[in-house]
Amino acid sequence: MRTITYAQGIKEALEEEMRRDPTVVLYGEDVAHFGGIFRITSGLQEEFGEERVFDTPISENAFVGAAVGAAITGLRPVVELQFADFLFTTGDEIILKAGMWRYVHGGAYKVPMVVRCPSGAAGVGPEHGQCPEAFFMHSPGLRIVSPATPADAKGLLKSAIRDDNPVLYFEHKLLYATKGEIPDDPDYLVPLGKAAIRQEGDALTLVAISAMVPKAMKVAERLAKEGHNIEVIDPRSLNPFDRPAIIESVKKTGKIVVAEESYKTLGVGAEIGAMLMEEALEYLDRPLRRVAMPDVPIPTAAALEQFVLPNEEKIYQACRELLN
Amino acid sequence: MDKKLKLDIYKKIVLSRRLEERIAELIKAGQVGGFMHPGVGQEALQVAAIATLRSDDYMLYAHRGVAYWVARGIPIQSVLCDLSGREGGTNRGKGGVMHVVSPELGVLGESGTLGGCFPIAAGAGMSIKVKHEDKVVLCFFGDGTSNRGTFHESLNFCAVRKLPVVFLCENNGWAVSVPTEQSTSVKDIADRRHGYGVPGKTFDGNDVEQVYDAVSEAVAHARAGNGPSLLEGKTYRLWGHWIGDPDTYRTREEVEKHWRRDPLPAYELKLMEEKVLTDAARAEIDKDARAQIDRAIAFMEKQPFMKGETALEDLYA
Repeated sequence: MRTITYAQGIKEALEEEMRRDPTVVLYGEDVAHFGGIFRITSGLQEEFGEERVFDTPISENAFVGAAVGAAITGLRPVVELQFADFLFTTGDEIILKAGMWRYVHGGAYKVPMVVRCPSGAAGVGPEHGQCPEAFFMHSPGLRIVSPATPADAKGLLKSAIRDDNPVLYFEHKLLYATKGEIPDDPDYLVPLGKAAIRQEGDALTLVAISAMVPKAMKVAERLAKEGHNIEVIDPRSLNPFDRPAIIESVKKTGKIVVAEESYKTLGVGAEIGAMLMEEALEYLDRPLRRVAMPDVPIPTAAALEQFVLPNEEKIYQACRELLN
Repeated sequence: MDKKLKLDIYKKIVLSRRLEERIAELIKAGQVGGFMHPGVGQEALQVAAIATLRSDDYMLYAHRGVAYWVARGIPIQSVLCDLSGREGGTNRGKGGVMHVVSPELGVLGESGTLGGCFPIAAGAGMSIKVKHEDKVVLCFFGDGTSNRGTFHESLNFCAVRKLPVVFLCENNGWAVSVPTEQSTSVKDIADRRHGYGVPGKTFDGNDVEQVYDAVSEAVAHARAGNGPSLLEGKTYRLWGHWIGDPDTYRTREEVEKHWRRDPLPAYELKLMEEKVLTDAARAEIDKDARAQIDRAIAFMEKQPFMKGETALEDLYA
């Protein structure tokens, strides 16, 4: 085992998969010469050359759509969007092309591509700070992953690159510097669609997504000291979504809180709530609680941002309310 | 262009025209549903352009008609099954006649949202370049679609990366009900090449030889690794935007004027003058086209409709 950062996990996944498979290409704004604005891809152009790692013009429609064209003709493109918010400039390319090209042609093509989407509020305001996973959970044909640890950052990205479907890979900006252990196995893969039980417990189920996971772990520690052993589930992958992991946990705990950085309305928690209504209502002895962004754009000033962002205290209070 | 090629192009134009006439009859009689945008009047441009391709090249077609598929050799019975939602089509009931596909013939598809084709074409070009192949991508689009942002982004992207893509505009003068001069800042779409530093030209899209020569030149340019081109063939949509379009936005005089420039009889006359085609051969080709269509319709009618539950298949690999 080694200790690496989340950012290193992403970079190692890219390096290893590019060495393993010559059809993997990597491109986006500022990724090649400069190494990406978050410095994830530095040195990759030197190793893999200008054809496989290159900078693009500011043309998200062209270069995200080009990933679809490349994928259906034999490449495995990995596209870096500078910010996850830029997905909204590429609605047609992501939703109608990447998500549907295979379906609309009756399965004639595979669309193996990954779009790396740096997500999360970090003092950068409404157009550079969103966690927009839920918007794309509504779109058929896409795979969606949101790793929370360095090991998952690496293992899920490697799986995403090897997957034959389009994958939106959400990497949270505030997790880049976090550290964690990772096995040395070069084929260390984390399967899409498998949740991680971060901590076992039977008092309450706390589902946490992406940067909410470390906050949830702190809440679990705090509650343990108060005599409540809660279960923390990190779905890791939002499509496919590991429904059984959540349902099994709720059967045990009867209580659930969902913590996410998406907007509350029709967010991930809303989907989990609806799923539980349909499939596990009899096991719930308290109503579901969601800790999410209120439905306002993410403001820039620190005081305002902190006011709307889900945090440890808000998650703790939601849990406490159900445990009382 | 040798005699064999000229006759091949002629036969495909005839087959396309006869097929669309039959499809229109079927739709009007309520025998098939279908969301069909006819290409009558634009077949010369489509067929002659596709004739310049090698069998391993890629193409993305546009909304107008069946000639792209006929030209590339997709069986017309499959097209009819796609149109009617039956088994035996190319897309298993998912895309209808708007998304006929053939990976083995390099027919990548089309974007139902206009302009979605350009980035896909760029990506196929990227693939060719990364794999050091000498294939090319031919991307058809309409004059109206040249106003999408994707057109401008993709031309620039392909030019910067020198990708082997030939962008071919079928300028038929109308974007549904809006004439080109009301929507577009230039008279000739190919003039937009100057904004991207790529070669190209405007030509008569109803003249088979002009089309063939211009597209051949652009294909050779791309194949040699010199990057994209922007071509424009002037043509005209002789029928409505869709089968059933009341077509109230054009004057009958205008449409009549363009029927006199219909590329099918024009090419026929030219080939007769060149002694490539005789009256007897012309009658034979027409009869053969009708017989192929009869057989294809008979095949289609015997095919079962796609089952509803197949709607849940083919989403993920």
